[in-house]
Amino acid sequence: MQAGSSGVGYGLKYQVHLIRLSADGTELICEGLFSHPNEIWDLRSCPFDQRIFTTVYSTGESYGAAVWQIPELYGQLNSPQLERVALLDAHVSKIKCVLWWPSGRNDKLVSIDEENLFLWSLDSSKKAAQVQSKESAGTMHYLSGGAWDPHDVNSIAATCESSVQFWDLRTMTKTSSIDVSHVRTIDYDTKKDHILVTAEDETGIHIWDLRKTKVPIRELPGHTHWTWAVACNPEYDGLILSGGTDSAVNLWLAPTGSRDEITSDSGQNSLSLKVDPLVNSYTDYEDSVYGLAWSSREPWIFASLSYDGRVVVESVKPYLSRK
Amino acid sequence: MAIEDAPLDDKAKRMRDLLSSFYAPDPSVAGGSLPKGASLDAINTDSFDADQYMNLLVQRANLEGLLQKHVEMAAEIKNLDTDLQMLVYENYNKFISATDAIKRMKSNIVGMEANMEQLLDKIMSVQSRSDGVNNSLFGKREHIEKLHRTRNLLRKVQFIYDLPARLGKCIKAEAYADAVRFYTGAMPIFKAYGESSFQDCKRASEEAVMTITKNLQGKLFSDSESIQTRAEAAVLLKQLDFPVDGLKVRLFEKLEQSLGGLQVKIGDVADALEESNDEQENDLQLGFAVAHDASVHEFVETVRAYRVIFPDSESQLIKLSEDLITKHFLITEQHMKKRVSTATFLRVLRIIWDDVLLIDHVLPEALLHDYCFKVSQSAIKQYVSSMFSHLLDDVSGAMMKVHPQQNNVAEEQLQVALEAGKNSLLKGSMDLLLGFRQLLEDNLDLLVKLRELITDWVQAGFQQFFEALDTRFLLLSGRIKSSPQDQSLSEGLQSEKISSGLVLVLAQLCVFVEQTAIPRITEARTEIAASFSSSGARGYEHGLVFHPTEISRVFQSASEKFLHQYINMRTHRISVLLRKRFTTPNWIKHKEPREVHMFVDLFLQELEAVGSEVKQILSQGVRKHRRSESNGSTTSSLSNSLRDDKLRRSNTQRARSQLLETHLAKLFKQKVEIFTKVEFTRESVVTTIIKLGLKSLQEFVRLQTLNRSGFQQIQLDIQFLRTPLKELAEDEAAIDFLLDEVIVGASDRCLDPTPLEPPILDKLIHAKTAETKEQNSSVASPTSQ
Repeated sequence: MQAGSSGVGYGLKYQVHLIRLSADGTELICEGLFSHPNEIWDLRSCPFDQRIFTTVYSTGESYGAAVWQIPELYGQLNSPQLERVALLDAHVSKIKCVLWWPSGRNDKLVSIDEENLFLWSLDSSKKAAQVQSKESAGTMHYLSGGAWDPHDVNSIAATCESSVQFWDLRTMTKTSSIDVSHVRTIDYDTKKDHILVTAEDETGIHIWDLRKTKVPIRELPGHTHWTWAVACNPEYDGLILSGGTDSAVNLWLAPTGSRDEITSDSGQNSLSLKVDPLVNSYTDYEDSVYGLAWSSREPWIFASLSYDGRVVVESVKPYLSRK
Repeated sequence: MAIEDAPLDDKAKRMRDLLSSFYAPDPSVAGGSLPKGASLDAINTDSFDADQYMNLLVQRANLEGLLQKHVEMAAEIKNLDTDLQMLVYENYNKFISATDAIKRMKSNIVGMEANMEQLLDKIMSVQSRSDGVNNSLFGKREHIEKLHRTRNLLRKVQFIYDLPARLGKCIKAEAYADAVRFYTGAMPIFKAYGESSFQDCKRASEEAVMTITKNLQGKLFSDSESIQTRAEAAVLLKQLDFPVDGLKVRLFEKLEQSLGGLQVKIGDVADALEESNDEQENDLQLGFAVAHDASVHEFVETVRAYRVIFPDSESQLIKLSEDLITKHFLITEQHMKKRVSTATFLRVLRIIWDDVLLIDHVLPEALLHDYCFKVSQSAIKQYVSSMFSHLLDDVSGAMMKVHPQQNNVAEEQLQVALEAGKNSLLKGSMDLLLGFRQLLEDNLDLLVKLRELITDWVQAGFQQFFEALDTRFLLLSGRIKSSPQDQSLSEGLQSEKISSGLVLVLAQLCVFVEQTAIPRITEARTEIAASFSSSGARGYEHGLVFHPTEISRVFQSASEKFLHQYINMRTHRISVLLRKRFTTPNWIKHKEPREVHMFVDLFLQELEAVGSEVKQILSQGVRKHRRSESNGSTTSSLSNSLRDDKLRRSNTQRARSQLLETHLAKLFKQKVEIFTKVEFTRESVVTTIIKLGLKSLQEFVRLQTLNRSGFQQIQLDIQFLRTPLKELAEDEAAIDFLLDEVIVGASDRCLDPTPLEPPILDKLIHAKTAETKEQNSSVASPTSQ
C-alpha cells in the first residue's frame, strides 16, 4: 500500500478483497481475500487507518453495520476472518451507510438508516462503539445515503426520496434542505466550500451552491440511463467523475468559478455552459457502474467498480493537460 | 556684341568655348574629364603622360603614320598658337572699352548738382503762394457753412410742423408705409424736444400714428387681405416699435390649432385604413384621403403666410412641422401594436410622405426630408420587428393550444397542433416576405432611400426571429425558466405540468424548421430580392445577416434536445411506476405468484400513450431487423433455446442449471448496444423508451432481495411482457436481451432462484392475455355503438 493507492473493494458474495495498485500503476494485485459473514451493501475505509473499514450488510431480512480491521497477513492468501472492531448495533430499520469523520484521526462515525441518524464514538482499544446521539428524520422521509461536509465537520448531508437534508451534528437538528428527488449519491467538493454535487437517477448531475439552494448552479446531462455514482476530484477544480447504469464512466470538467464569480457573475457561467463539459467517456464496462473513487495519493487516478465485479483503474492524466 | 552674336560662326563659337574653359573654376569640368588611363590619346586631360604617349606612338605606328601624326600635331600646335593670340587681343580690347566707359561717366556727373539746387528754389516759392491763397479764403468759407446748417435746421422744423397734416393725408390715402417712414424720421426730434417746443406737434402726430397702428393690426388679422398686405402690415408694425411678439404668438397659436385638427384627421385616416381592408370601402378611404389632403393644404398655406409675415420664424415652424411628422409616426406606431397589413402600412407611409413633400415645398429650410428619414427609420424598423413578433406569437399560440386538454389527449390533437404550427410558421414567414417585398418594391422616395436598411432589418429580423423562436420553444417546454417579461406567457405553463405531447410536437416542429422552413425561406428570400443577398456583405460586419446554416444547426440541436426531453418525461413516468412497484412490497416475504401483476398493464398503458402520441407526430421509419439479422442472432437463438429448454425440463434442478447457462451465455455473448442514437421515427422513439424502462426495471430488481416467490413473480411478469414489447419495438434483440437481464438480475438477488414451472407460467400468462382481450373487447364494444 505504500506503493501508490489502494482500496478495499466489494467482494462477490461475502468476501472482501484488498487490492493494491502496483508502483508503476499498470497492475492490480489482490493482496488479500477475507470472508465477510453477510452480504455487503456499503463499504467505507477509514481515512486515517488503512486497515480499518466499515461495512453495511444484510442478512436478507435484517441489516447490520460493523467496523472491521484487516488482520496482519503472513503470506497466506486464503480467507482469514476479519477482526471485528465494533458492531454498530443500535439500528432497527434498513441501514443505508456509515460515514467516517472526513479528515484526520477522530473516533466519530455517523451511520444512517432509513429513519434515523446515529453519531457513534468509536473506542478501538475497547473494541466497542457507543451511540453519542441519535435523531429521527421523521417517518415521512426515507433516508438513502449521505456525505460528511469536509469544510464543516458539524454538518452532514443526507439524501432522502424528495430532498437532500442538512443536519447539524451538535444539536442534531435539520438546518436546511434542497428539493431534489431520487438522489443516488452526493459528494462535497473537498477543495471548494459550499459546493455539493448530486447524482440523480434520471435528471443527471447537479452542482449546488449551498448558499443558494433554490436552483443548481450547474447541470450536467449525466448518463444515458441512471447516473448512479459521482465523485469530485480532491485536487483538480471542477473535475467530476460519474458512473451510470449505461455501463459507462464519464469524466466532466465543470468549473464553478471562484466564490465571487458565483455570487455576482452569471455571464461567465453562461459562457462556460457553451463548452461541452464532458471530457471523456470510459465505456469499457460490461455492466452498470456502481462504485467510483479517486486516489487520495495520486489524484489523477480513479478506480471504478461495475456490477460484474470488475475493478477498473484509469488515469485521467491525458485529459488534464487540456485544461 | 549682339549683332555679332546672331551669326554664330565657327570661329566665334570656338572662341567662346575656349574663353569659358579658361574662366571655368575646375578645368576638369570644362575639358570633360576622362577616366584615368582610359585612353592615352586624350591629350586634353590633366593625366596626359607625354612620354608614355610618345613611346606608345613610336611602338604602334609605322613611319608614315608617325609622319602624318607629326604633321597633324604641328598643325594643331599652330592652331592653338593663333587661338591664344586671339584671346589675348580680345581681352585687351574689352579692358580698353571698360576704361572708356568709366571716363565718360565721370564727365557727365559734374554738371548735375547746380540743376538740383535750382529745382528746390522753385518748389519753395510755389508753396508760399498756395498758403497765401488759403488764408485769404478761410473766413468766407466758414460763413457759408454756418448758413448751410441753419437752412437744414429750418427745413426740419418745417417738416415737423407739417407732420400731423401729412400723416392725416397718408391715412386717408392708406399709404401707411409713407406715414410710418415720416413718423420714424421725426422720432429722434420728438424724443429730444418733444416736451418743450414741439409739444402740440408731437401729440397730433402720435394720435395719427395710433390710428395707423390700429388699421395695420386689423389688416394683419383679417384673413381676407392678401398675404403681401398682411406681411407689409407686420413689417410696418414692427417699425413702429409695436410689440409684434404678442401678435406672433397669437398667430402661431392659430397655426398650432389647425395642426391639432390635422393630426386628429390623420388618426381618422389611419383608423379608416385599419378598418377598411375590404375593397368596397375604398371610396371611403378615398374620401378620407381627400379630406386629409385638404387639411394639409390648408396647413401648408398657413405656414406659407406665416413665414412671409414673420420671416425670422423658421425655427418655430421647423419645430412645428417636425412635431407633425413625429405625431404622424407615433400614431402609426400605436397602430402597429395591432396587426397592420403591409398595404395599410404603405398607404400610411405614403400619406405621411406626401405631407412631408408639401411642407418641404413651403419650408425647405426645415430639411423635413432628413428628419422624416430619421423618424421613419425607427418606425419601419419597429414595423419589421412587430411583424416578426406577431409571427412568433402566432406560432407559439398554435403550440399553446395543445396545452389545455393535456389530460385527455384526444386523437389527432397533437397532429392538428403540429400542422397548425407548421402552417402558421411557413405561411406567416412567406406573408412576411411578400410584405417586405411590397415595401422594397414600392417606389416611394422614402422607401427607396431606406431600401438597404430595410433589407438589413429584415435579415436581422429573421435571424432574431428564429433565435427568439428557439427560446420560446425552450420556454414552452419548460427547459428554461422564464424571464420576468415573459411571465404572462408562461404563467399557465408553470402552474401545470408541461404536457409531454407538446414537447414531442416541439421536437418535430424544430425538425420542420430545420429541414423545410429555413430552406424555403432562404429560397424565397433570394427569389424575392436579389438585394437581400447583395447587401449581405455589409450587414455581415454589423452581425445583422441572416445565417440559415447557423439557425439550422440551432434547431437541429433543439430538436434533438426536445426529443430527448420527451423520452425523459415518458421514461420518468414509467420510472415512477416501477419505483412504486418495487419499493412498496416486502420482496423477501413475497407470496406465490397467482397472476401477472397489474403494473404490467400500467406499463403497457404508458407505452400505448407514447405510441398514440408518437403516431400523430412522427413518421413511420423503415422497420429494421438488423439486430436479429446480424449479431443479435446469437442472443435471440439463445433465448429461444432457453424457452425451449424451459418447456422440456421440468424439475427445479434443471431450471437452476439453466440459469447458470444464462450466466455463462452472457459471458460469451457479444455486448449488445442498448443505448443507440434516437431517430425521428415512431419505432425508434418507442424502442428507446421501452429500453430505458426495462433497464430501470433491471436496476430496481438489483436493489431488492427476493425470495423464491418474488423471483417467480418477476419471471412471470417479464415473460408476459415479452410478446407485447417485441411487437412495439423495432429492436427485438435488445429487448430480449434486456428482458433476460431482468430475470438474471432477479435470480442474482434471489435467495432461492427456482424458476416457475413452464406449464404454470403458460397458464398464468394465458389467463392474463384472455383477460386483457376481454377487457379490450368490452371497452371497444360500447365505443363502436
